[in-house]
Amino acid sequence: MSPRTAVALHDVKKAFPLGDGVSLEVLYVEHLTLPAGTCTVLRGRSGSGKTTLLNLIAGVAVPSAGEVRVGDTDVFALSEARRDRFRAEQVGYVFQTFNLLSALSALENVMLAMMFAETVPRGLQRRRAADLLVRLGLAERLAHKPQHLSRGEQQRVAIARALANSPPLILADEPCASLDARTASEVMAIFLAVCRQDEKTLLLVSHDEDALAGADRVFDMAELNRAEARRVPA
Amino acid sequence: MTILTVALKYLQGRLVASVLTAVSIALGVSLVVVSVLLARGIKESFIAGATDYNLVVGAKGSPTQLVLGVVFRMDLATPNIEYTTYRVLQQDPRVEVAVPIGLGDAYQGFRYVATNSAYFATYPWRRRTFALSAGRLFADDPPKDPTYEAVLGAEAAGSTGLRIGDRFYEGEEMAEYPLTVVGILRTTHSADDRAIFFSLSSYWGMNEVARGLTVKPLTAVLIRPRRLSDLPSLHRELNVSAETQAVLPSGVLLTIFNMMAVAEDVLAMILAIVGIIVLLYVLLSMYSATLERKREIATMRALGARRATVLGIVLVESCVLAVVGGVGGVLGGHAVAYFAGSLLAKSGLATNPFLFDPLEPVVLVSVILLGTLAGLLPAVLAYRTEVAENLAPLS
Repeated sequence: MSPRTAVALHDVKKAFPLGDGVSLEVLYVEHLTLPAGTCTVLRGRSGSGKTTLLNLIAGVAVPSAGEVRVGDTDVFALSEARRDRFRAEQVGYVFQTFNLLSALSALENVMLAMMFAETVPRGLQRRRAADLLVRLGLAERLAHKPQHLSRGEQQRVAIARALANSPPLILADEPCASLDARTASEVMAIFLAVCRQDEKTLLLVSHDEDALAGADRVFDMAELNRAEARRVPA
Repeated sequence: MTILTVALKYLQGRLVASVLTAVSIALGVSLVVVSVLLARGIKESFIAGATDYNLVVGAKGSPTQLVLGVVFRMDLATPNIEYTTYRVLQQDPRVEVAVPIGLGDAYQGFRYVATNSAYFATYPWRRRTFALSAGRLFADDPPKDPTYEAVLGAEAAGSTGLRIGDRFYEGEEMAEYPLTVVGILRTTHSADDRAIFFSLSSYWGMNEVARGLTVKPLTAVLIRPRRLSDLPSLHRELNVSAETQAVLPSGVLLTIFNMMAVAEDVLAMILAIVGIIVLLYVLLSMYSATLERKREIATMRALGARRATVLGIVLVESCVLAVVGGVGGVLGGHAVAYFAGSLLAKSGLATNPFLFDPLEPVVLVSVILLGTLAGLLPAVLAYRTEVAENLAPLS
């Protein structure tokens, strides 16, 4: 794999067991590479396997077959514990529904990601989290709990959390789908700008026009996913 | 951020449920602690009150009533014996100390106890010692010239508000014979704290019937033999007499403790059931809390938290609840023992609620271990949470 390749997938399949020794194959990606520092947008119909693909790259779902490499690492050659640590350090994940922890403030939600990776010294975590939130325009919201933030603000906290450990790869699953058009446009602009400035590799599931316009490459899942939702032996 | 910080934040986030869970643990622990403290306090109070003297001599009747009435002032006084019984025993070469006791009525609920200075004397074998916080002891006055001087137990003085020099009486018929406070005793943690002491002469002078009698009455005589080997013969002789009985307080204590043991066994069963209910409540509370946040647990896992980390967060939460509830329960147990002790004191039993029982650290450590264990099932639920399944977008 080229040193400038951030992500590479080879013959990756994902099937879900149906019982009686039969599985339903929902994803088959023959080949996919993401050059480092680029922005790639995935689009496709609901159920086309976009989220599954992101989960496989993040290592939170295990492929039925194939190889997933992030940087130089074969993700699924790692033990689960090492994969968790690898994900904490190397992958930032932004969810469609933000998934902020309700018991924690904005600042603490960002610091939480640093707790799992342990790459930022404990004494610097608060400062770094605050800097990220300020950079995303949330200087006045550091101590606020998610329920006291607007949806746009919540998503910006989620973006700050994904950037907390300075991972080279950011995965984002329709990050603006639950925002109104204006807020979505603002958040997407900030998100793309920050990723560009920090030279992150960004894989974005989105149908947002701004995202599509700002992307280096756009993949349609209908073309990328060769699975035909067929039953296969488990 | 640490696992402890996250656990504390989660507990804070569901404050009402957390407080209720900790309170339920504290109530269970309080019950155990107060039971242990009171059972021990009652036993010690019985032992302390009944072991200075080896024999209690009184009128024929119930041995338990005699000991409870004379030593603990818990029961009605037994019928009288003659004062000459005391004089005979006092002269008996087998007797080291004989103390006459006359039980009278009460002033504001505090029992009148007539005796002499021997009651307050210090002996090497006495567990209980008396000291004055103010004034002096009453005089051993002659029967024909009673001084009507009174010495108050610490609680009797505190509750009635009587001070040195104050005169008092209960009921108009006693107005002619008021007692004068000449001394106040320090706390002894016994039934004596609730007694009003005065001389036998005053006792007989205040009593209309006794005034007319040639042979004066007594309620009982407390006996300490010179040698324990003299005890059986004294015991036998006094019981052979038609008027008197001699009771070994240790025998009565054994009867009381045997009755208490049955109650303690029942209490232990009840406490065990309460403990199980509390643990189930902790388990249920933690389980529902974990179910409610499966999505958040999945999020943490997606952010890189290891399974062991989310397991640790849930276990630390239940451990913190157990620690808070356990410590609160121990403190609460002592507080309840304090109030229960003041109620028991009215029955003549003095307990010390501030004494530390060696069982308390055992209870505390057990509660913390079991409380943490109750979080194990929810923790395993968190441990086994499948990330991808629980991260599916909400519809």
